[in-house]
Amino acid sequence: MDTSVLLTLRDPAGIPFYPVVFQALYILTWALHAAFVLLALGAMGLSLYGTFKQKEDPHWKIMTPHLIQTGKLSVSLLIVLGVAPLLFTQVIYDPNWYTTNALSGMWVFIFIYLLIAAYMLYYWYYYANKAKDGGGKMIGTISFALFVFAGVLMHNFAVTSIMPNEWMNMYAPNGVVDNSGWTFNVEFIRLIFLVSLAVPVVGIFLQNYSRFLSTREDFSKEFIAYTASLGTKLGMVGLIISAVAFVAWMMQIGYLMHPVIIATIVGVLILLFLVATNRNSYITTGVLVVVALLISGVRELTRYDLMANLGYNIYDYPVNLEIPTIVMFLLTFLIMGGVGIAFLLTLAWKVGKSEGVFDGSKDAAVTRLGTYTLAIMSLWMVTFFGWGMSILFKNIL
Amino acid sequence: MDIIGQFPLFYFPEYGSAWIMGVTGTIHILASHTSVGAAMLFAFLAYKAYKENRTDLYSYMKRYGMFILIFAYVIGSITGTGIWYTATAASPRGISALIHNFVWVWATEWVFFVYEVIGVFAVVYFIDKIDKKTHLKLTFTFAIASVGTLALIIGIISFMMWPGTEAYYTTGSASDAFFGINTFPHMFLRVGFMIMMSGIIGMVISSSMRKENEALSNELTRKMGFVSLLGGFITLFFFMWYMGTLPENAHAVFNVTKESIIQNRIILAILFSLYFLLAIVRPKTINTVLASSMVVIILIAGLWPGEKLRESMRKPYVAGQYIYSNQIVSRDVPGKRIKGELPVIAEKGLLQVNPFVPENLKVITAENKHEAGKLLARLACSNCHSLEKTGVYRPLKERLTGMDKESIKAILYAIGAGGMNYMPALQLPEDEYDALAEYLASQKY
Repeated sequence: MDTSVLLTLRDPAGIPFYPVVFQALYILTWALHAAFVLLALGAMGLSLYGTFKQKEDPHWKIMTPHLIQTGKLSVSLLIVLGVAPLLFTQVIYDPNWYTTNALSGMWVFIFIYLLIAAYMLYYWYYYANKAKDGGGKMIGTISFALFVFAGVLMHNFAVTSIMPNEWMNMYAPNGVVDNSGWTFNVEFIRLIFLVSLAVPVVGIFLQNYSRFLSTREDFSKEFIAYTASLGTKLGMVGLIISAVAFVAWMMQIGYLMHPVIIATIVGVLILLFLVATNRNSYITTGVLVVVALLISGVRELTRYDLMANLGYNIYDYPVNLEIPTIVMFLLTFLIMGGVGIAFLLTLAWKVGKSEGVFDGSKDAAVTRLGTYTLAIMSLWMVTFFGWGMSILFKNIL
Repeated sequence: MDIIGQFPLFYFPEYGSAWIMGVTGTIHILASHTSVGAAMLFAFLAYKAYKENRTDLYSYMKRYGMFILIFAYVIGSITGTGIWYTATAASPRGISALIHNFVWVWATEWVFFVYEVIGVFAVVYFIDKIDKKTHLKLTFTFAIASVGTLALIIGIISFMMWPGTEAYYTTGSASDAFFGINTFPHMFLRVGFMIMMSGIIGMVISSSMRKENEALSNELTRKMGFVSLLGGFITLFFFMWYMGTLPENAHAVFNVTKESIIQNRIILAILFSLYFLLAIVRPKTINTVLASSMVVIILIAGLWPGEKLRESMRKPYVAGQYIYSNQIVSRDVPGKRIKGELPVIAEKGLLQVNPFVPENLKVITAENKHEAGKLLARLACSNCHSLEKTGVYRPLKERLTGMDKESIKAILYAIGAGGMNYMPALQLPEDEYDALAEYLASQKY
């Protein structure tokens, strides 16, 4: 695609802050989103296996509903966390984003309703399994298949967006315009790599699960040992498969010797060692976060290079600085988001560790965090209305 | 400027592509308004349960919570993202304009959204796992976070209608765009609707509890009747204020169907007022079938026409009164250094300036005239009108019935000259007018 066209496709309003900030936020939030996509797929897949073992095996009897619940929560989180990279990518890569969505318009439409159907069926699976051990196999499998297909569609959007030289052929092959929105592209190795990551992610999750429950007296030592060992096996096998697929993908696109790729491979090897030894799965999770950020960085690196080679450099995007709203975002993100999420996670952690009712009013950390969150949110609302009224008065009077 | 930043066109036959956004949007509004309304209602119920030591209210909250988790949050969160996706496919430059003006507002909303989604699980699942005081605090923060998502999105969708003053066009400031003259009335109109929806859904839940606890079921149904009545009153009150803040083109569209709209709203207001009064006076008579039917009625007879009307009243614009529905920048916005694209289109033609028009259709010839006309119709008209003879959504067949080429051309000239304030003032070179009119006439509407 011609450079001048790519540059013209940028929004005429420019961007309201420096492009590198959007790029960094994209890498960060995509990694968060992907983590829950992979955990959802891994937990769902493993729970389906569990439905076959649940009746006879006491370990799977406990673990299966927990895995189903984990899948359920992860889908909600992957959706909410997916909004952010979606936002940031279309700020700096708008030519890619909008062209792709128009070319694949029908798939975009299908994607949304497919996801709704998959999630509704998942709730059905959850209730069917709750009602009867081993229940909901069929519904769970259909739901899982729909989620996987939704993932393939997302992959299609990502791949199409980095094929600018092919866009014109996709839209008007042989000069005949096709407005149908059925464009579909797949890169198998890249797809296999990304999907394969679900296995090590659920493996590491199981190690954490085992470690977290080890302090609870209502879970047996055998169960704790079994889940840890299963986590280790899944983690190791999964990491090896993912590593092979990653190397194959990098060789395919000629990036194998790039420093970021080497750093990613080193990260995976460290992860493999930590998973195999399973001394402290919380540290392993920390390293997993770093590796996830590196993988997100690799995706962005390849896209950035590809577009820059076509003359579209995101760092040259015209900037129209917009200060008040970024101040609002940063303060909300860092203060309200930080304190608020800390409140919710601390509460969840302590509830999970307790047998019976957890009395948060006697816990200093929970009480303080809750009060601060409430105060910050109230202050936020007052500020919002004050700001709005002053702008309105300025512009109307 | 030889080309303009137009994207490939996605066209859904018979309906046009905009309706897919409308359907997704309407479903989202039902789900999201219910969830925010429910969050406010939960705050009220949790406060009552804590202050009056009413532990029975928690079972209602738990059941209500599970219901909104499955329906409002699953559907609401996916269709929320879905509006973005479908809008991107149907109206890329419209959504791009919003994104590039309001990215930080949206990012802020995302922070609230994350809190809201994690929070709803905590509020529902921790009901019997934490003490009442902590649960109350949690519920309050959840309610504020939910209202926060509304506070942040409302300025963006209000800007889609118009900012209402010239400030934004000269400063380019997101604050001037966000806090337009219709932002607050629009916000409270929706707050009212959310409160009403929380009551309407609340009656579905309370009526389903009758077998287990009749006294509680009746008490809550009565309460939901009051809640809905209050919400309905707020909605109507702010609707009047909101209508007074809309631009001329919106009123021009509104006036076309004003009488039937008002009639429809009066019937709905009476029907639902009677329903709410019945819930207050005779809560026993509200059963799950009736309560669920009222949800369907409000979706089909209230929300869908309401959202269609709001979308129609924006015409010919899709965002900020500077982007037309057919993805053309209609005016300069000096504050953002944006240049209007109408002059270059009038001079060179839509086919020449659109980078995704294939070379063989850039110049109109006798051989390609029909194809060029067809593409022009899609580029210029299909965002609002379905083009086929069997078209369903604002079909051209109803507007151009029995017209020949010259009559159609006369209409196109009038539109191009700005003669209809709800249509884009899109002037084309003569050969494009001719090809477009010939193609439309060939359809024999």
